[in-house]
Amino acid sequence: MMDFILAWLTVLPGYVVPLLLASLGVLLSERAGILNLCPEGFMAVGAMTGALLCLAGHDPWTAVLAGTLSGLGLSLVFGLAVVVFRVEQTLAGLAIVALGLGITGVIGRSHVQKPFPGLPRLSETAWGADLPRLLGQQNMLLPLSLLLLALIAWFLARSPAGLRLRAVGEDPAAADISGVDVQRVQLGAVLASGALGGLAGAFLSVASAHVWVEGMVAGRGWVVVALVIFARWRPLRCLWAALLFGGTEAIMPRLQALGVDFPVYLGAMLPYVLTLAVLALASMRRGARSGAPAALGLTYLRQDKH
Amino acid sequence: MTTLRAALPAGLLALSLPVAASAFELTSEPKVAFIYASVAQDGGWNEAIDKGRAALAEDLDLDIAVAENIPEEATRLRAAIDLYVQRGYNIIVGTTYGYSEAMFEAAQAYPHVAFFNASGVHNGANMESFYARTYEAWYLAGMTAADTSEADKIGMLAGFPVGVVNWDVNGFARGAQAVKPGIDTTVVYTNSWWDPVKEGQVSEAILDQGADVIATDLSAASALSAAEERGAGAIGYQIDMSAAAPEGILTSVVFNWEAYLTPRIQEVIDGTWQPEEWGWFAGLASGVVDLAPFGPSVSEETRAKVAEAKAQIIAGELQPFAGPLMARDGTEVVAEGDVLPDDALWTMDFFVDGITGTMPSGE
Repeated sequence: MMDFILAWLTVLPGYVVPLLLASLGVLLSERAGILNLCPEGFMAVGAMTGALLCLAGHDPWTAVLAGTLSGLGLSLVFGLAVVVFRVEQTLAGLAIVALGLGITGVIGRSHVQKPFPGLPRLSETAWGADLPRLLGQQNMLLPLSLLLLALIAWFLARSPAGLRLRAVGEDPAAADISGVDVQRVQLGAVLASGALGGLAGAFLSVASAHVWVEGMVAGRGWVVVALVIFARWRPLRCLWAALLFGGTEAIMPRLQALGVDFPVYLGAMLPYVLTLAVLALASMRRGARSGAPAALGLTYLRQDKH
Repeated sequence: MTTLRAALPAGLLALSLPVAASAFELTSEPKVAFIYASVAQDGGWNEAIDKGRAALAEDLDLDIAVAENIPEEATRLRAAIDLYVQRGYNIIVGTTYGYSEAMFEAAQAYPHVAFFNASGVHNGANMESFYARTYEAWYLAGMTAADTSEADKIGMLAGFPVGVVNWDVNGFARGAQAVKPGIDTTVVYTNSWWDPVKEGQVSEAILDQGADVIATDLSAASALSAAEERGAGAIGYQIDMSAAAPEGILTSVVFNWEAYLTPRIQEVIDGTWQPEEWGWFAGLASGVVDLAPFGPSVSEETRAKVAEAKAQIIAGELQPFAGPLMARDGTEVVAEGDVLPDDALWTMDFFVDGITGTMPSGE
């Protein structure tokens, strides 16, 4: 039993880290009031770019950085659309997903199914050979993602810039009056979401699968969108939610391999049922804050101010 | 890309057109087109068929048109077919189960055009679906796995619990048991056709349970990469996946569709083609399904055993699902002296005895 739990914990970061990274990005964007359905697209370009650089013989860290930047690049398109040109955010988000999947399909088509070494596990590094298996099987993106989580939590809760970002998401008109550049804050938040989504995608190809294939994000971006709702737009809760979503996903094949008789399809549904339950509960608690930023999804125009 | 290409049987449904007694004849020079639901070089199913297409083009000296990324939607496929027919193409080959209905309608609308569909369900006077008895090759793969395993525990990844997948799983386990009667075969369904990240992770889950050989019934090679990393044996599917596990690769169950396509299209050109009433469905004897060359860790002794079993299957002396066949829940599916009939193959929804794992729909 201990072995089973230990093995499960060992693989857990592989499931949790991409969800956590991408969800922190969505969280930043949505706390600034921009509804963000893009992670599936950001992760796709991040995964492809990372893999292509690895295949071209670059250092895995260069590949991870390039994946991050490619997500940022795609989010710039999204940011220009929704922040500058004020396109409807749901439609723009869906368009970005289609764009991301399309671009990766075209550019990556001659590079599918070619394995590469990718990011080393800690046990494969010069100094990590003696680490216990639980740690040795991880890669440096795990501590990096936890560091980013801490930074983002601090940024939102404690820093003046974080306060401005939250203000924009709650009441852009009030923030505007008090001298906050609403568009700049929103654009910055969207770019951060693209970078984090690209990083999450690079994790999938460079650190996890060590191969690029079209469609390899396989819906994880949509899980992220639900995960942020489940986490009620709080950074630390994103970690717990990612642990729940990723943990469920990680334990199911292990229970199957043990031959435990349990309803697989019900297990796969669990995170989404919980998300629905959280949404329903939040809207039932009259008067209580649902947790969603008040101006989420609304397009802010200064001339509409009253 | 999640297609149901392999989810339902060729030739199971009785919705087929009445098959004409006379052979189909082309009314003009042969022009062949292949239609794929995604990219041809997908590293799996499409790539295997496209290899067959290339061989067909060379063998019969044909110039074959290829359309990629035609979705499994009736309107999109029909538009592509209409265009080809207008341009004079008279032999059209579909490559996925999801094309079944729209192709069947097109076959009725264009009786002068010959239609083929891989893993489709419909057949008629000018249409034939085709699929392979993959479980025969999986039986041989199971023998190879069991003979190489030192842990006496082998693992397999599968997509969804449908007949064409379950017969691979059960064939694999039966082959393993033919070599080592008590061996454990651990099977995990990923509930997707295409998720390379998950397939690598599921492979690790099975290895953590102590298996030392991983076989995949899916298209991505990441399950094999995970096995390679742990020093375990690996068995691929659809194309030779040895590149993903150069050390640990034992073999791959591969398709050689040219073994079907080349003679069949030749028949169409010759005017001797008579579509099979229930679809074309053959195994090792036809050559459409086979094992890729063995990897370095497979012993001479194992190779000899597998070669002998292969010869017996081709000769019809050995049948992977011959009785006595016990399901895991203890019921006798096939009595001693009988073999599993084809219709029971297509609806196979049980594990044979000796498999560890959970079939998602429940047994």
